[in-house]
Amino acid sequence: MTVLDREPSEAVKPVARRVLPPPVTGQELVLVAVIAVLWVLLGIFTPSFLSPSSIQPLLVSVAPIALIGVGMTFIIITAGIDVSVGGAIALCAVVTAKLLVNYAVPLPVAVAASMALGLVLGLVNGTLIAYGRVHAIIITFGTANIFQFFALRVFGSSTVNNIPATLDVFGRGDVGRTFGVPHSFAITILVVLLAWWYLRHTAGGRHLFAIGGNANAARLAGVKVQPRVLLAYAITGTLVGLGACFLIAAGTSTLDQGVGIGRELAVIAAVVIGGTSILGGRGSVIGTLLGAILVQTVTSGVTQLGWPSQLANLFVGLFIIIAVGTDLLRERARRRKA
Amino acid sequence: MLKRKALAVGALALSAALLTTACTSRGNPNDTSADSDSGGSAGDQVAVAFVPKLQGIPYFEAMNAGGQSAAKELGIEWLYQGPTTADAAAQADIVRSFIQQKVDALIVAPNDPDSMAPLLQEAADAGIAVGTSDTDAPNSVREVFVNQASVEGIGQGLTDALLEAMGGSGKYAIVSCGETAANLNAWIDVQKAYTAEKYPDAEIVDIVYAGEDQAAATSMATDLMNAHPDLTGLVGECTSSAPGVAQAVSDAGKTGTVFTVGLGTPQSMKPYLEDGSSSASILWDVEALGYLTAWAGLQLVEGNEFQATNKVSDDLPEVEYDAENKVLLLGPPLRITTENVDDFDY
Repeated sequence: MTVLDREPSEAVKPVARRVLPPPVTGQELVLVAVIAVLWVLLGIFTPSFLSPSSIQPLLVSVAPIALIGVGMTFIIITAGIDVSVGGAIALCAVVTAKLLVNYAVPLPVAVAASMALGLVLGLVNGTLIAYGRVHAIIITFGTANIFQFFALRVFGSSTVNNIPATLDVFGRGDVGRTFGVPHSFAITILVVLLAWWYLRHTAGGRHLFAIGGNANAARLAGVKVQPRVLLAYAITGTLVGLGACFLIAAGTSTLDQGVGIGRELAVIAAVVIGGTSILGGRGSVIGTLLGAILVQTVTSGVTQLGWPSQLANLFVGLFIIIAVGTDLLRERARRRKA
Repeated sequence: MLKRKALAVGALALSAALLTTACTSRGNPNDTSADSDSGGSAGDQVAVAFVPKLQGIPYFEAMNAGGQSAAKELGIEWLYQGPTTADAAAQADIVRSFIQQKVDALIVAPNDPDSMAPLLQEAADAGIAVGTSDTDAPNSVREVFVNQASVEGIGQGLTDALLEAMGGSGKYAIVSCGETAANLNAWIDVQKAYTAEKYPDAEIVDIVYAGEDQAAATSMATDLMNAHPDLTGLVGECTSSAPGVAQAVSDAGKTGTVFTVGLGTPQSMKPYLEDGSSSASILWDVEALGYLTAWAGLQLVEGNEFQATNKVSDDLPEVEYDAENKVLLLGPPLRITTENVDDFDY
């Protein structure tokens, strides 16, 4: 819609080389600054916030949200949304946990099965949205309930108990780290960097922005809109599969039905706080990673300061409002300039 | 253009509506295959309906199992249905549907006692015997509350088990779940008072709320250990945080330095009891609670008065009744350790 105004004005300028967006945006720098200030303050006012025993578990908690957030960023850039990730997490997690308990599958099989299942769920969403042409929130709200139904069926009125330690390489314990870096977080960073490169440097990545800016214009410009949209949901589904493994590892040896509940909102919060426009057309995966770190910093910080737990909700809510507010203000300023 | 704008606004409004009602609609009972194996109309059998806070978790499924075995022995029909999330509105819908079905007795474990009270009044007006079990709705017309254990029993049981492991002194913290859960908050009040009174060298340094989220409970327990380097105890106040605090201690390599107890279901606590990261789990015999609930429903329908002590079954020979508050008490809480954890299959 209005985002498009920028594109023609840039196009009039005679440019010899490709125009690339800046590698990092203002919002990301602001987030880095906010996180840095919070970490310093927490380092001063708590006994051990900046110690490895605190930062390592924090990064383990960040990993699944940021990882799935990468996929969610792709989707929101195309002006879509996926509120089914909570249900999809529950289904992937319970199937994987059952495989581990009943068949004692090795690590690669568990991860591959979870990611394959997630991919299928993502393809279901993507196909319905890209080719059914129904708004993403309607489709994914429907599939959220359906995924949750299947998850509860697999749970079969019981928790999954005595999950073996196979997935502990992604957990908070000693086996979950190499040189002090949690594996789940390292994998997340790798995925974020790949996604950042894809969005910035490949035609496919730029097409996602074009679709979110104005899908019709993108189609007329020769972008294959439907396969690109399908891809965004498929990537999200696959990352949900991996994220579900991270969540099993970050939980206990028992998996209960609450595993996915509310996660979709946590992921969307990280994406929005990270500066991705909910209207589509603009966004950054690095912002999403920073958004997830900020949310977990606030949650951990509130606990470590001994403040009442509900303050974390207040702060996260304020961050969302501030992030969306500045986004809209910037949008207005841009429109005025154009 | 105008049309598209209207559509967009409509979609936005709809999505907002969907998001805000997400909990409620997802809480709708989608699992109607709930266990009414006698099916169809009850005939002349007494129908006792029980509405748990949520169904599909081991705790309430164990209650259901107990209710079913009571139904078989007592010759009544046991109906069991609850929401799939602990949601007061979804639970209210189920209660209404049982009122419409004109069951003989309706027993609820309310998610929100205050909003359940008018519904219980409605049921009583329709001639249905009403009661509560597991969680009370004190300001309602319920004729009996089937209490799993006294508030003092649980609070003191948790405190004694933890302080025994901690050697009678030290700092500890509590990871609770829902901030508004009346029973959890009542237990915590007892823990505070009892700790101050019986263990003057022990101190509760913080109480945090993780919701019903295992990963959050684990991460908050980790934060508490970092915030209080001299912490030697953690309590997991509900079935999701009890294994969570033990996992956090085990992950941090502090087994034997930081001790934990909690209200966990036996099978979920077993690995932690075995590796020593959990010292004990305090619970009650959940199946017996289900049995007692079904029995109490039948007594209400038949108009039998409760005695000061009641012989319910061979396993429940002496159930105490507090006539003033209309409370049936299952008995003292159980302490589950490595010794007896295998006696329970839930």
